[in-house]
Amino acid sequence: MTLRALLVTLRNVFRRPVTWEFPRSVRPRPERYRTGFALLRDEHGEELCIGCLACEKICPSAILHVKAAPKRESAVTGKKRGWAEDLTIDTVACLGCELCVQVCPTDALVMTRAPERPADHREELFLTMAKLYENGLAREHGWATGTKLMGMQEDEDKKKKRKDKEVAA
Amino acid sequence: MMALLMGGLVGVVALTSILTATALGIWFERKLSARMQTRLGPTIVGPFGLLQPIADFLKLLQKETLIPDGADRLLFVVAGPFCIFLALATAAFVPISPDTGLGLDSGLIFVVAFGAITVIPIWMAGWASRNKWALLGGMRAVAQAVSYAVPLVLAALVPVLLAGTLSLDGIVAAQQGFHWFALWPTFPGLPAFVLYLGCLLAEANRIPFDIPEAESELVAGITTEYTGMRFGFFYLAEYVHTLVGSAVAATLFLGGWDGPIAPGLHWLVAKTLVLYTVIYWIRWSFLRLRADQLMSLCWRYLVPAGLGLVFAAAALAQVMP
Repeated sequence: MTLRALLVTLRNVFRRPVTWEFPRSVRPRPERYRTGFALLRDEHGEELCIGCLACEKICPSAILHVKAAPKRESAVTGKKRGWAEDLTIDTVACLGCELCVQVCPTDALVMTRAPERPADHREELFLTMAKLYENGLAREHGWATGTKLMGMQEDEDKKKKRKDKEVAA
Repeated sequence: MMALLMGGLVGVVALTSILTATALGIWFERKLSARMQTRLGPTIVGPFGLLQPIADFLKLLQKETLIPDGADRLLFVVAGPFCIFLALATAAFVPISPDTGLGLDSGLIFVVAFGAITVIPIWMAGWASRNKWALLGGMRAVAQAVSYAVPLVLAALVPVLLAGTLSLDGIVAAQQGFHWFALWPTFPGLPAFVLYLGCLLAEANRIPFDIPEAESELVAGITTEYTGMRFGFFYLAEYVHTLVGSAVAATLFLGGWDGPIAPGLHWLVAKTLVLYTVIYWIRWSFLRLRADQLMSLCWRYLVPAGLGLVFAAAALAQVMP
C-alpha cells in the first residue's frame, strides 16, 4: 500500500498536466453556459418589459428591483400596456438561479453568454437599466428565455400527470 | 587580518550559493509537486517560473510583520533568524571536494549537534507566540526531535564504525571507489541509510512526520502567529534543513564527493539532489502520522533497529579491518 502511493505520484509526473493557464488559454465554455443579464427590445425598438414585477417577486436574494410606470399606449400596436420605469440588478449577491428569466412573460429579461468582468468597485457590479439594455445589444444571449423555460416546465408537468394516471390505472 | 577577510569572503560566497540552491530547491519542489498532481506549477515569473521564489521573497518582504499582544517580543523576533542560522551552520561541515572542508576530526558531532539544537528556536517560537496552536506545535516539535535524534545518531554511527572515524572527510575517504556504505556492506549499510533518511524526515519536520505543523489540526503550528519575512525565515530554514540534511546523508552513506570523471562537487550535488527529490516524493505521496503513532514508531521500532544495526556494524568492523 505504501509503495502504491509512491507509484501513483511517480506515474502522475509523466502524465500531461490538466491545467488551463487562464488568461493565456481559456477552457471552452459549455454550450448552455450563461451568466450576466440583459434586457431586450422588440424588432421595432420598443422595450419588451411590461413592468409586471414577476422577476422582483421571485428573486430569492431580493436584489432585483423594478419600478413600474403607469399604463400607456404602445407606439407600435397602439394598445395600452405596462412599462418599467427602472429595473436594476445588484449582481453582488446574485445566485445565478435564473428564476427571473424563467418567470418573464414577455422574454424581456435574458442571461448573456459573456461573464461580467471582475470589478474594482462594488458599484460596477450594479447593473442599471441602461447597462442592461446595452448588454442586450452588445452581448450574445443565452439560449434560455422565459417562454422556453416555462414550456419545458409544462411538458414536465404533463408527463408527470400522465404517469400518475398510468400508475392509478 | 587577511585570513579573516578571506574567511568572510568564502563565507559570503558559500552562504549565497546555499541560499540560491535553496531557492532553486523550492522552485524544484513546487514544480515536482505540481507534476505529481498533474498540475503545471509556477509558470509566469521568469522562464519556467524559475524566478517564483524571488517573487515570493519580495512579497514576504512587503508584508506587515505583526507581533501578537502578550508575546515574548525578544524570543519571538530572534527565533526565526536563529532557526535559519542553525540550518545554514550545518552546511559548513559538509566536505564538498577532496581539498576543501574544515578538516575537523569530529565533524559528525557538530552536524548532529546543530541538527539537535534546531528544536530550541522552534520551541522559542512556539512559546513566545502566546498562542495555543503554536505552543502545541512547539511541544510536538520538541518531543519529535528529541525522540528521533536517537535513531538518527544510531544510524549515523554505522558509517562511523565502518570508517573508524568521526571526521566527515575521513568517512568520505573510507568510501572511495564506489565503496559507498549504502551499497557495501549491504548489511548494515543499506538499512542504516533507510533509517537515517526516515529520521531526517522527522528532523526536518517533513511529511509523514510533520505533526508540529499539521495544518489540519494546528493552523500552522509554530508559525501560526508569524507574518511576512519572519515567517519566511522558518519557511526557508525548513528547506535549508532538508537540503543540507540530504547533503549530510549523501556524505555519510553515498560516498560524498566520490565518483568517477566529474569533479567532486558535481557528484555531491547530484547525490544531494537525488535524496532531496526522494524526500519530496515521499512528502507528496504520504499522509501524516498521528502523534502517538510517531512516538511508538520511534521508540518501539526505530531505536531497537538502530541499536541492532550499531552492534552489527561494530561486529563487522572487528571482523574485517
